[in-house]
This record gives sequence, structure tokens and C-alpha cells, in this order.
Amino acid sequence: MTEVRPVVEVPTPPRPSRRGDRSGAKVLIAFGVAAAIIVVGQLRNPGFGSWDGIRAILVIASFTGFVVAGQTLVVLVGGIDLSVPWTLNAAAILLTTTAAGHQSRVLYAVVAALGAGLAIGLVNGIGTAYLGVPAVVMTLGVNGVMEGLTLGLSQGMTCRSCSAYAPDAVRTAVNGQVLGVPGDLLLWLGVIALTTVALSRSTFGRRVYAVGNNPWAAYLAGIGVRRLTVVLYMLSGLFAALAGIALVGYSGQPTLGMGDPFLFQSIAAIVIGGVSVLGGRGNPLGPVAGCVTLVALLSLLRAESMPEWGRNVLYGALILAILLLYGRERRPD
Amino acid sequence: MLTQQASLLLSLVMLTATVLTYAGLYLARQGIFPTTFDWTNVVNHSLPLALAAVGQGIVVLTRGLDLSIGGMVDLTNGLAATRLTGDPRLDGLWILLILLVGAAGGLVNGLLVARARLQPILVTIATLAIYQGLALWVLPTPGGQVPGGLTTVLANPDAPTGLVWVAAVAAAWFAFRRTRVGAGIVALGNDPEAAHASGLPVLRLTVIAYVASGFFAAAAGLFLAATTTAGDAVAGNVFVLTSIAAVVLGGISFFGGRGSLLGAVAGAFTLTLVVNVLFFAGIDPLYQSFYQGLFLIAAVLLGNAAGRLARRAR
Repeated sequence: MTEVRPVVEVPTPPRPSRRGDRSGAKVLIAFGVAAAIIVVGQLRNPGFGSWDGIRAILVIASFTGFVVAGQTLVVLVGGIDLSVPWTLNAAAILLTTTAAGHQSRVLYAVVAALGAGLAIGLVNGIGTAYLGVPAVVMTLGVNGVMEGLTLGLSQGMTCRSCSAYAPDAVRTAVNGQVLGVPGDLLLWLGVIALTTVALSRSTFGRRVYAVGNNPWAAYLAGIGVRRLTVVLYMLSGLFAALAGIALVGYSGQPTLGMGDPFLFQSIAAIVIGGVSVLGGRGNPLGPVAGCVTLVALLSLLRAESMPEWGRNVLYGALILAILLLYGRERRPD
Repeated sequence: MLTQQASLLLSLVMLTATVLTYAGLYLARQGIFPTTFDWTNVVNHSLPLALAAVGQGIVVLTRGLDLSIGGMVDLTNGLAATRLTGDPRLDGLWILLILLVGAAGGLVNGLLVARARLQPILVTIATLAIYQGLALWVLPTPGGQVPGGLTTVLANPDAPTGLVWVAAVAAAWFAFRRTRVGAGIVALGNDPEAAHASGLPVLRLTVIAYVASGFFAAAAGLFLAATTTAGDAVAGNVFVLTSIAAVVLGGISFFGGRGSLLGAVAGAFTLTLVVNVLFFAGIDPLYQSFYQGLFLIAAVLLGNAAGRLARRAR
């Protein structure tokens, strides 16, 4: 009598999720959409796709890009940073009021602004990682705290040093050109290179993806999940502050509410770039393409003198179209 | 169930404490307790947020999130300010239509979340932009006019009729929770896989939750128009974040399936009253969001601590 044994299917080991989720394809799609928008713009408005036109788009995209660099890190571990708008705004105001027109205080002012970003991120990180406050709630609360502090301490931007312009050194660093490339774009390029290499070629990056895929497994594998989370929120605060510095260097003076558009824009750019908001999946270059796509679209619509309401509708429709194109997300398991 | 009652209780305690602080500070400043007029004012100004929070609450119960509420309040507020004429019969029809617009917007969200299985936060960021755009199309510049009749019915400044609406929402929640759909939505939020395995129509329940959210956002837009007696296509944007804050203060869990919409209403009242408390405490209004933010974080920490105590007591 032969024993009938059940056929046991040996499961093939799952491929590393970062390669198995078509994230490379998504980066190409996102860059493709950006290129398509620029081509359409050039066909309809000659000059839109010239180096000057593209440079203008890239400079505007870089401000979102700095925010996105930090937001991506937080999103990769399944978190979210809603405190970006007033971290950015506070850093911008802190820079100009600390320097208060004195060129000698530039370094001090930049350090103060970046330090504020790090401190805000530290608070966010401790709240989410150690005190068990949901990320949405913690960062939302901190955004309110920063809004109130910024408005209150600057007396609604009526304080004596509030009318100060960004120090010349910062303005030159942002706007000055090296071989036709603005300093701001070189800085963005540096940030992109740094985050991409850190995420794809270092233990730090592998830890970030591991925590995003499965925090419990990552913990069991000996990763200090909480400490890593705090560091990521601090980096998000740092990059938001950097965006504030770059933005105020570009425009000269800070305004109240200057950070507000960057919250949803940064999340939209991440989505277009194919990074999963559930964490653990996505190529860090995707969100960079997302920034360019969004800004190129908005510039094109403006060049077509599309009214604001139409720009809003098409902006939302583009995000939905890309979401549907990428298909549904599966929770990493 | 125990923790559910505990979190609702905590949100009611917080509301009571805020009410008492408000009355005490008012007494200290003015020498009298707040008058009926003051309380009516508080209720009328809390109602739009309370309705938006009810909508947000239903969605959060299913483990979702609806950021498009702000855009829907913009849109319906704009419609109310431009379409209502003062003719009761025609206006009744328009109000019905405006509520339907809200429900339709919610249906779009619901189908994208449930059918296309997209992340709620992403879907509603996109539809937020779309509804905000439509609002600017309906009402490009602030203005329009809201007939006095709407204000009398929804947000009467001279009589505390606003409480009737609060009672209506509470009664509706108590009835809804006992229906098959209401129980299903809570069960779905508690454990989506178990809900699916036990044969609950998960897809339909999710869609219903988003439709309800859109409907309540439209109601919030109407009440906002009635309170401010004019329209503004960006006036609803604050509701994106305040509706989430109210839900949190109301003790509804972000992990789904836990909490009462009554808590969301209480949270909305607390959040609005805190502004009055700050005013009477003589705090510079510029610092308002600072204290609201602190209050929000403190409330969650308090809720966490209470939950831990409740679990230890068992």
C-alpha cells in the first residue's frame, strides 16, 4: 500500500519588496509624465521647454523637493508629518529675524533655523514613537503649536525685526548661478544624492525599509525602531526648515502662511512618485519626479491662463489618475 | 465596550470642564454668568464643526480619513450663498440638492476607497483639490447672500434652537448605531478581515460611511452659511484639520471601530469653547492655535493614560 502524501508546495521566498513593487517603473512613469507635460507646454507656448523655462520649473519644484525629502523618510516607515507648513514658516521667519539684516549673523541665523526644525522633529518623534500618539494627531497638534508660536512671537509679523530681508549670503547662495545652474538647484541635487544613497546603499536605508515593512519584525531583528523613528521625524523637520530657508532666500521676505501649500503638495508628490503611504515601499527618486510633475502641471495650466478653479480640479484629477494607474496598494506583509 | 464608554465619558468630562472654565472666566470678567444669548452663540458657532466632525467620525470609525470635508464645506457653502433666494419652496429644493451634492461627493470618495481600494488619505487629498476648485467656480470671490430665513431656522441668534439640531444628531446616532448598517460600520472598523469573513458587505458599508461624511459636510456648509450669513469659497478649509481634531478630542480611535459620534460632537464644542476661554482669559488671540495644538496633544495623552488605567483595573 502506498502512502498518499499531501503535496506540500514549497513557497518561493518573497523577493525583496523594494524590487517587487515595480517602484522603478513608477519612477519612470513619473518622470515620463513630467516630460510629457513639458513637451505639451513647449508645443503650445514656445519657450516653456527651453532651459530657462525648465530651470524656472525646477527651482519652484526644489522648494517642494526639500520638504518631500523629509516627508518621504517619515512616510517610508508608515508615518506622516503634518507639521511641515509651520515648521517651514517658523524657520523662514527665524532666519530673517535672527539675522535682522546683519550680514555677520548669517551663520548663526541659519543654524537657529535648522535647529528649530530638528527640535520640532524631535518633539514629533517622541510623541509618536514613545508616547503612542498617532502620527496624524501628534504632527497636527505640533503644527498648531508652531502656528500659534510663530504668530504670537512675531506679533502677527509686526515685530521690529519682522520686516527684515533674508541675509545677502543666503540670497546669493540660493539665486547665484554656477555655470547657469542656480545654487538652489545644486543644493537640491545634493539632497537628492544624499537621501538616495543613504536609503539604497546603507544600513540606515535598509533599516528604514525594514521598519516600514514590518516594525515588529524589525524590532525582533534588533533595530531600535523607536530611536530610528525619532531620527526620521527630526530629519523631516530639518528638511522642512531647509525649504523655509531656501524659499525665503528666493523670495527675499517671509510671509505668514507661506508653508501651507507644501503639506498636501509634498504628500501628492510622494504618491505620484509611487512611494506607498503604508510604508516600506518605494524608490526615493520617485517623489523627486513627483515634485517636477506637479510643478510642471501647475506652470502649464498657468501658462494656459487656466482659472484657479480649473487648476485645482485638474491637479486633483491628475493625482486620482496616477493613483488609478498604479493600481491598488497591498499592505506589506 | 468598556473602553468605548470610557473614552466617550472622558470627552464629556473635558467638555464639562471647558464649559465650567468658560462660565467661571466670564463671571470673573463680566460679573455675571454667560447669558442665554452667549450660550446660543456658542452653540451656533460650534454646529458647523460638530456636523463636519460627525462626518469625519463615521469615516474614522471605518479606519479611514476624509480630508475632502473641507472642500465639500467650501462648495456647499458657496452654493448656499449663491443659489438660495428666500423663496421657501425653491430654497427647500436647493437645500435638498446641496445635501445631495455632498452625498454625491462622498459617493465618489467611497467608491475610490472601497472599489478601487486606494488609500483614503490619498483619494481625499485629490478630491479635496477638486471640490475646492468647484467651490471657486461657484463663488470666485467671497460674498453672495444668505436669506435670513435660513439663519432663523439653522442658526437663530435669538433663541437656542441650535440645541434642537444637536439633539437631532444625537438621536440619529443612537438610532443608527442599532441598525444593521450602523453596527456593521463599527464591526468593519474593529476588524475588517473578520467583518468580511462573517459575511458583512464591507464594500457597501465603506461607501455608506463616505456618503454620510459628504452629506454631513454639506450640512456643515449650510450651517456655516447660516451663521456667517455670507459665502466664502475658502471658509471651509479649516475644517480639514479641525474636524480631525474634534474627532480625536471626542475619543474616537484612529485604529477604527471604537468611539461614539456623540464624542465627536462634544469634541467640536470643546474645541470651539477653548477659543472663548482663551479670549476671556485675556490671552492674545494670536496664540490661539498654540493652545489648541497643546490641548489636542494633551487630550490624546490623557486618553492613552485613561485607557491604560482602565485595562489595568480589569
